[in-house]
Amino acid sequence: MPENAIYYQVAYGALIAMFVGYALSIRLRRAAIARKRAAMEQSR
Amino acid sequence: MTAPTPARRIDWLMVAAVALMTAAFVRAIYFTPPDRLQGMAQKIFYVHLPSAWVAFLAFGLTAIAGGVWLFIKDPRLDRFAESSAEVGVIFTTGVLISGPLWGKPIWGAWWVWDARLTLTLFLWFLYLGYLVLRGAVDDREARARYSAVVGILGALLIPFIHLSVYLFRTQHPTPIVANPTGIQMPAVMITTLFLALGAFTVLYMALVRQRMALAAERDALLDASTAES
Repeated sequence: MPENAIYYQVAYGALIAMFVGYALSIRLRRAAIARKRAAMEQSR
Repeated sequence: MTAPTPARRIDWLMVAAVALMTAAFVRAIYFTPPDRLQGMAQKIFYVHLPSAWVAFLAFGLTAIAGGVWLFIKDPRLDRFAESSAEVGVIFTTGVLISGPLWGKPIWGAWWVWDARLTLTLFLWFLYLGYLVLRGAVDDREARARYSAVVGILGALLIPFIHLSVYLFRTQHPTPIVANPTGIQMPAVMITTLFLALGAFTVLYMALVRQRMALAAERDALLDASTAES
């Protein structure tokens, strides 16, 4: 049996990093919108 | 006492997605035997196929939502199409990362320009273009109309990608699950695969729900600033 575990380890790691990064990017973008909204309401 | 903001509430769908993803990865790594011929690299299959399935699902639903939007013009459909396309691009990126990582040890090459791989790369570029188009058009209705058309035309690639292994001489393996002769895998591997398919689908739903909330909050902010000026 070929010893090639590194390829699946890299694949799993890359996908986990990508999903976590994307979910974080949504959260950060929502936080930025909430900040803008709060600033707009304060300036009224 | 003030009500909690949406961002502070626990997103139970995301919690379920994380739990299922963890279960799928743990089962694939520790409780599923490696393939006799391909070795450990075969475990890439448990993330590659679910990523491809979710990408096709995401772009298919983007096309359907866009098509229905053309008739009823409900902004929620446009926000869903936008969100599903963005999440679809993420999962297609997963396909394009995991594929070459399997190809190198098994084929001896990171990439070959065969029909399935090339069409998948085109699909990725097409929906990247869809997202760029959305960013370039300010008028909300025009943006929804143009992107609905691009979304529908882009999804026409999906059946060609699925059938490419039969239509063309290709290095990519024929389907293992959606195979006319039945599923070509031992039961222990099939269970892991279906767990991963379920986990990736729930993750897609959770990400789209969060992305739709972002789109709704962005549109509400734009409406408020327009009303103010």
